[in-house]
Amino acid sequence: MDAACAIEVRDLSVRFGGGAAASVLAVDNASFTIVPGEFVSLVGPSGCGKTTILNLLTGLLAETPEGEARVLGKAPRPGNPDIAYMLARDSLMPWRTALGNAVYGLEVRNVAKAERKARARALLARVGLGTFSDKYPKALSHGMRQRCALARTFVLDSPVFLMDEPFGALDAQTKLQLEDVLMDLWSADRKTVVFVTHDLAEAVALSDRVIVMSARPGRILADVPIDLPRPRSIRALQNDPRFHTLYGRLWGLLEQGMAGHVH
Amino acid sequence: MSISTLVSIKGAPASSRHRRGAPDHEPAGSRRSHARIRSHALRAVPVWLRHALFIAALIGVWELAASQGLLDPAFFGRPSGIAAYLWKGFVTDGTLWRGYTLAGAVIAFVGGSVCAVATGLLFMVFPGFHRASEPYLTLLNAMPRIALAPLFLLWFGLGIGSKVAVGFSLTFFIVLSATVAGIRSVNSDHLVLPKALGATPRQVFTKVTLPSAVPVIFSGFRLGLIFALLGVVGAELIAAEHGLGQTLAYLQSTFSMDGVMGLLFLLAFLGLGITSLMNRLERALLDWQ
Ligand SMILES: Nc1ncnc2c1ncn2[C@@H]1O[C@H](COP(=O)(O)OP(=O)(O)O)[C@@H](O)[C@H]1O
Ligand SMILES: [Mg+2]
Repeated sequence: MDAACAIEVRDLSVRFGGGAAASVLAVDNASFTIVPGEFVSLVGPSGCGKTTILNLLTGLLAETPEGEARVLGKAPRPGNPDIAYMLARDSLMPWRTALGNAVYGLEVRNVAKAERKARARALLARVGLGTFSDKYPKALSHGMRQRCALARTFVLDSPVFLMDEPFGALDAQTKLQLEDVLMDLWSADRKTVVFVTHDLAEAVALSDRVIVMSARPGRILADVPIDLPRPRSIRALQNDPRFHTLYGRLWGLLEQGMAGHVH
Repeated sequence: MSISTLVSIKGAPASSRHRRGAPDHEPAGSRRSHARIRSHALRAVPVWLRHALFIAALIGVWELAASQGLLDPAFFGRPSGIAAYLWKGFVTDGTLWRGYTLAGAVIAFVGGSVCAVATGLLFMVFPGFHRASEPYLTLLNAMPRIALAPLFLLWFGLGIGSKVAVGFSLTFFIVLSATVAGIRSVNSDHLVLPKALGATPRQVFTKVTLPSAVPVIFSGFRLGLIFALLGVVGAELIAAEHGLGQTLAYLQSTFSMDGVMGLLFLLAFLGLGITSLMNRLERALLDWQ
């Protein structure tokens, strides 16, 4: 396998429920590579295996897949320090303050107390929660909790970020704000990101490439480069004709992938 | 300016339609504005004062009814007699300060809780042990524990030991089931992140399982303490050398209803004090909720 790749997935198939007749083929023969520093979105209809792919790369999958997957040249395993995983739900721990949540990953990774606090405070300030670091999640709005979850993920400073529909549950306005926050965080040192979403506009606005998957069993339909210049303003993009052209193209591909499926 | 406008300015939050000086469009004397005046007037009286007035009235009526022979003091006691009994017990001879009952309840609570939490953790580490012991625990828990008091009296004597044993047996099961429920209540979302980060089982336990179980365990403590008191007083009622339950049984057998009533009030306030102490502790410890 290619050592220059941040992520390499080759001929990957994942089946849940063993070989039994009732088993579910979640991912069907998927292959893609991502180079370091790339921001790649994975889009596709719900249930097409996006989360499954992220879980596989994190080493959380109980099933043994067919094919191969590598993260920075290494086989997936839980606790891989090269990966920072941001889960679909905010899942902040309600008994920890914003700061407590932000330091959590560093705590597990045994970073010294003073250092992890300093790093977490810096991240909270960058996501706009500087004055809220002593607040418990119950006192934070949905958008603020998601900002905190972003801080908790980026504080890990891992070379690879896996993000599973992090803004899926937000209203449109808050979503745009958080996409800007994410762009700010990412632009600073351009780590590799695999960003799962079912929102095509979000995928186009953020990514260098968008990988389109079919409905289950998830196959890769297209790999579309997004050649919009950076830095990008998410708001300004909404009025950019090139943005809408790309959006239309992706939409067409996704429609194609859904064809034959009743929803 | 109509009456209702005046009252709404004095009383708590005036509704937006009743800002100072705003003309009142309600026809004066309508049913609705009467109701509003009454509720505003009531709201001007602080809550504690309303309760104090109610209780004073109740005591007055009770005393009056007792002195008029409407309520037989031989069965219900009378407020002045109850006050005299409590004064004697707390001030003149100080016998009510001895605290055997409270000491028994605290020992039963602490012992029962510590053993219960330890058992709950053991169950978490050894699920097989949990499954195996579950039917026996269910059986023991289903038994009315106070029925064990005669046995415990035989085993542990008339002193505080048998009282602690009854209180312990009640507290233990309450706190145990709270501990088990608390450990089970962990949000599975909170377990994915530590897994992805490669947290050790010990880290998962101390940083996720335990903190999420604490509120549930705490509600077990709150209930457990009340039941520890119940167990101790119950056992004292059956046979004892000291304690509020023993005194209660004695006073009842000598028809001193003032004393019985006084002790009942004392026990109620003891329970209330325990509950509010636990509430305060909970608010201080679990302010994230
Ligand atoms: N642990 C599991 N056991 C059985 N089926 C699963 C499991 N996890 C996911 N699946 C199935 O695999 C398919 C893909 O799931 P997922 O990766 O979560 O989809 P997505 O994230 O794209 O919405 C779905 O049909 C889902 O029902
Ligand atoms: Mg998903």
